[in-house]
Amino acid sequence: MIPLRHPQIEAAARKALPRVGIEVTDIEGFSCCPEPWTVKGASLDDWLAVAMRNLAVGEKAGRDMLVLCNGCYATLTEAAHIAADGSEAKAAADKKLSALKLSYKGKNRARHVASVLSDMGPDKVAASVRKPLEGLKVAVHHGCHLLRPADIMGFDDPFEPTKLEALVEALGAEVVPYAGYTDCCGKATHDPEATLKMASDKITSMKAAGADCVVTVCPACFEQFDLGQVEIKRKLGKDHKLPAFHYLQLLALAQGDEPEELGFKRHRVDVKPALSKIKA
Amino acid sequence: MPEVRPDFRESLSKVEGAGELAYCYQCSACVGECPAAQYCPGFNPREIVLASLLGVADYLTEKGSVIWQCTTCYKCYERCPQGTHPIEVVTALKNIAFEKGTAPEGVAVLRETVKENGTIIVSSEAIESRRGELGLSRAPAAPVDQIKKLLG
Repeated sequence: MIPLRHPQIEAAARKALPRVGIEVTDIEGFSCCPEPWTVKGASLDDWLAVAMRNLAVGEKAGRDMLVLCNGCYATLTEAAHIAADGSEAKAAADKKLSALKLSYKGKNRARHVASVLSDMGPDKVAASVRKPLEGLKVAVHHGCHLLRPADIMGFDDPFEPTKLEALVEALGAEVVPYAGYTDCCGKATHDPEATLKMASDKITSMKAAGADCVVTVCPACFEQFDLGQVEIKRKLGKDHKLPAFHYLQLLALAQGDEPEELGFKRHRVDVKPALSKIKA
Repeated sequence: MPEVRPDFRESLSKVEGAGELAYCYQCSACVGECPAAQYCPGFNPREIVLASLLGVADYLTEKGSVIWQCTTCYKCYERCPQGTHPIEVVTALKNIAFEKGTAPEGVAVLRETVKENGTIIVSSEAIESRRGELGLSRAPAAPVDQIKKLLG
């Protein structure tokens, strides 16, 4: 989803991560993770086989896999968990993989970029900042699958998280708490009306708390908050105008990249009102 | 009166976590923070678990079922005091519905997109030119032959 629909997130990652000391290596042969709500909803066996194939490709290269998306994180982390449990579904996936001359032994895992940065330490992130985002009030939206199920995802407390907040503060921005903080963006429901109402209510709450923008670490949540506002305006008659960013875009911005380099012009909600809050 | 089929729940156990529903004591902890329950009047994870436990869940795998309203937020998973995983019961029911051919059309379309392209978004020259604008190289080719074999 990121390389083809939201390449600005990939571009931000390639600029920003080396400055924090993360060397990114490209490995050939990955497919879609696959997407965890609909493909898993169709068939757990199909979903697991494709996920384990991707893990096997990463394992063969001797690497953990860096993901910039909660959906990828959910699929690859849960699939590795199921593979370790050795269930009936795992045995079926093993058989399919062996026909492709591949196998997954559980020696690697997916790492979410927020988790990697958090483990390295917010101080390390702060040390890469050249233009702090002072004056910018940020509503943090983790996205469900970064936090839950917490016993499998292992990132942070599922209802009272603090780690992504520390990474946002490391950029010099202010994190604003708001009602419904860990609620879902609504992207994955198949109810066309509910999906917009969930996002709209969450945006209303963020704005009421004084947020200048919403920050996500997931392209699906980003899309729900960015493109979603166009739909919300059309179908619910509410024009929120709350800019949305992926965290990596704000990181690159704080490191000194120009807004023109970060793909903001393709965002559906104009980001200028948020950028204008940053004290020069 | 629908016939109670206690063995129905065994058909759900292929989905990891969905087989624990016998521990449910119907406390409704899963309902309180469920966004689908809040926004979609017909959706209730406690009722979905009960119907699955009793084996009277056929209505949940018919066309237009409420199960597709679930946002997969996993709040029910966290809040359940009994280690029942309503979200995975919903996933197991979705799998049954898909096999019956009663899932929303978009589900098969998305699965087919992944099967035919290896990705959920289909590459195009417009996308490649956008990648170019951002200083990115062309998106890597997905291993379509292998994904076709896996999704047969």
